Amino acid sequence: MTAVDLLLAVIVSALAAYALLAGADFGAGVWDLLAHGRHADRERRLIAHALGPVWEANHVWLIFVIVATFSGFPTAFGLIARGLELPLALALAGIVLRGAAYVYRAYGEGAAGPESLWSRIFAVASSITPFMLGVSGAALATGKVTATSGPLAPFGSAFTLVSGVFAVVVTAFLAAVYLCHDAGTDPDAKDLVPAFRRKALAAATLAGAVSLALLPLLYRDAPVVAHRFTDRSIPFVVLAVLCGFGSIAVIWARRYVLARATAGAAVAAVLLGWAAAQYPDLAVGAATARESAAGTANLHALLIAMAFGLVVILPAFYLLLKVFSGPEGEREFEATQSQ
Amino acid sequence: MLGSTLTDARVQTGFSLAFHIVFAVFGVGLPWLLIVTEGRWLRTGDAVWLALTKKWSRVMAVLFAIGAVSGTVLSFEFGLLWPAFMARYGGVLGLPFTLEAFAFFAEAIFVGLYLYGWKRLSPRAHWLTLWPIAISGTLSTLFIVTANAWMNVPTGIKEVGGKVVSAEPLAPLTGPGALPESLHMLLAAIMCTGGVVAAVYAVGMLRGRRDAYHRRGFRVGLVTVLAAAPVQLVVGDLAARVVEKYQPAKLAAMEGLAHTRDHAPLTLGGIYDPHTGKIRFGIEIPDGLSLLTGFRADKTIRGLDILPAKEQPATPVVHLAFDTMVGAGMAILGLATLLAAVALWRRRKGIRPLIPLNRPWLVAGALTGPAAMFAMLAGWEVTEAGRQPWIVYGRMTVREAATTSGGIGWSLAATVLVYLGLATALVLILRRLATGAPPSLAADSDLPTPLDPDSSALESPRPEHAHLEGTPR
Repeated sequence: MTAVDLLLAVIVSALAAYALLAGADFGAGVWDLLAHGRHADRERRLIAHALGPVWEANHVWLIFVIVATFSGFPTAFGLIARGLELPLALALAGIVLRGAAYVYRAYGEGAAGPESLWSRIFAVASSITPFMLGVSGAALATGKVTATSGPLAPFGSAFTLVSGVFAVVVTAFLAAVYLCHDAGTDPDAKDLVPAFRRKALAAATLAGAVSLALLPLLYRDAPVVAHRFTDRSIPFVVLAVLCGFGSIAVIWARRYVLARATAGAAVAAVLLGWAAAQYPDLAVGAATARESAAGTANLHALLIAMAFGLVVILPAFYLLLKVFSGPEGEREFEATQSQ
Repeated sequence: MLGSTLTDARVQTGFSLAFHIVFAVFGVGLPWLLIVTEGRWLRTGDAVWLALTKKWSRVMAVLFAIGAVSGTVLSFEFGLLWPAFMARYGGVLGLPFTLEAFAFFAEAIFVGLYLYGWKRLSPRAHWLTLWPIAISGTLSTLFIVTANAWMNVPTGIKEVGGKVVSAEPLAPLTGPGALPESLHMLLAAIMCTGGVVAAVYAVGMLRGRRDAYHRRGFRVGLVTVLAAAPVQLVVGDLAARVVEKYQPAKLAAMEGLAHTRDHAPLTLGGIYDPHTGKIRFGIEIPDGLSLLTGFRADKTIRGLDILPAKEQPATPVVHLAFDTMVGAGMAILGLATLLAAVALWRRRKGIRPLIPLNRPWLVAGALTGPAAMFAMLAGWEVTEAGRQPWIVYGRMTVREAATTSGGIGWSLAATVLVYLGLATALVLILRRLATGAPPSLAADSDLPTPLDPDSSALESPRPEHAHLEGTPR
């Protein structure tokens, strides 16, 4: 395995971590947007509570992916940034507004407009970001994105648009699955479990339907990647299908901890299937990994720094998830809020 | 002019950087102050320290989030606005950026544990989570500024025909500008945090809220900004020497020196006139610049004329910004010296508190906040405008680096609108947070204790308020 391949593997793993962790945070924003009925406020509070300690750390995976890409594959990054400028700028707007709205709602005490305003901004921004990132990823597979293809090129095919929708549905699916568990361990929110269970089942079904619609579009709009997909990605597809149906089964059986694992595995399998089919292109027809890589000495330095960094970060990340995963002692959220 | 892609890209970058820096400095400085206040609370059980800790941690929560998202904007903008720069030098700058990403990772993880872990961690473990936040915030400042230092003094790189053929991975971290410039920024961040904290509590006291909560908040902030000032003088001097050696045109612009000469004067203030090459309304100290840089009057200093006019930085802006920074810094240093003398005198006489709290001192303390912020922003203006027209000094111009995309005007307008909206909301929220001690404290803290504020009744160990949250168990 060369340094280039190793770095690609690190980037794809980080992207998967981003999808599974931050993806669920965005998906939770989608459920915030769709919340209605007499439990809407309590659902929103559960969502805010679940995001609080982790969303910033989850978000750093994206920064890591960006930095690793421009450090490791600088010429490809320059080209991709030009080709995807519009969807990336809109994803960025979503990231900024989502984060700001979250803290303004949590700490603003109404000083800068009512909570409902920031709640709405939070929810809408949360839904925009995964759509734009889905479009961006799919556009790299089409072979129609170059430095001069213009801002609208990434939106120019049904494949990229449906991929954006797919990303939103998938993040909503992950969020609903995670929230089933969160609600179940929170004495004050136990009665919300059935609602999130219904949402999880609905999102799983919808994700399956959208992925079926996506396959013919992949072959039509991204032929190069589609052929590699047939050659290489079948094992991942099988895994994704098994874990997808498995998720429905275990959610049905109310096994929510297990459901986290199967749902995560299904999403990771889809992502890996795409990555395998994309290899060795970063932007099909415009940049391959090898051609756009930085010097070997720089790649080695990056990989060494990443190895050391991950040794420090992964245990800390585990600590974070562990500290906040256990059953609630007291409702600290309210206590902080009311201070 | 606005409307040209190059100018729009520059304005958007400058605006985004300024927005990020103004809020991110508190993410760097506040954790260190929290280590002090929460540590004091752990040792004494004093409710005032807990109240300050809680308040500042809420401020940190908001500002850290804004710093995080606006930092993400910058990492995208490198590619969106300066694609040619990233395509050529992204690999060279990979190491500092990657290390910065990890530092940011650690910061975000422990910020989550800190802000939401009051009940889930023991008080001691909770206090300990501040250390990784403070250390990684400091490291991320140092790493990110080394990337800028490398753009100023690009070393360890070989290029053939506009392509990097080899680059030493460690060059950005070991370059001559790396240490002085990154330390200069770190101290600036700490001074800004201390100054603004001091300013908030000074204004509170000027408005009559003279309780222990305000006195201590003021003291922690003021001591921080004033103690850092002399160190900053030394580090800033080192940074300027690196500029003199490696970026002579920037130094000439900072000092408004048009022509290379010995016995170069030092001109304080004034406006540089690019047509005559002279500074109007400035105070000239004969031989000053030669003495400062070379320690002898006949030291030759390179002027702007070492470069053709087209390659010179915008001297009027650079000189003004530089003198703003130095002037504000010197004012803070002057206050530090004066206050140190007064505190020593008061200690000899047995007067408490050591820091006098009458009106002139409070006004002076309140001004350290804006002074530090202005100095910091002016300093960035010096380092960026002073490097023009280069993005990587001597290797790539800003013009070559910029995007050629046509839609940048829209992106600039959207950025300015969104950021102005967010900044307005943020200011409103911070003002709401700055409304004094929590009611449970304020009720008893209006009892002034003229001789020693630290002996007032409400500061006895373990008052009831301390049991509300996070009490040692």
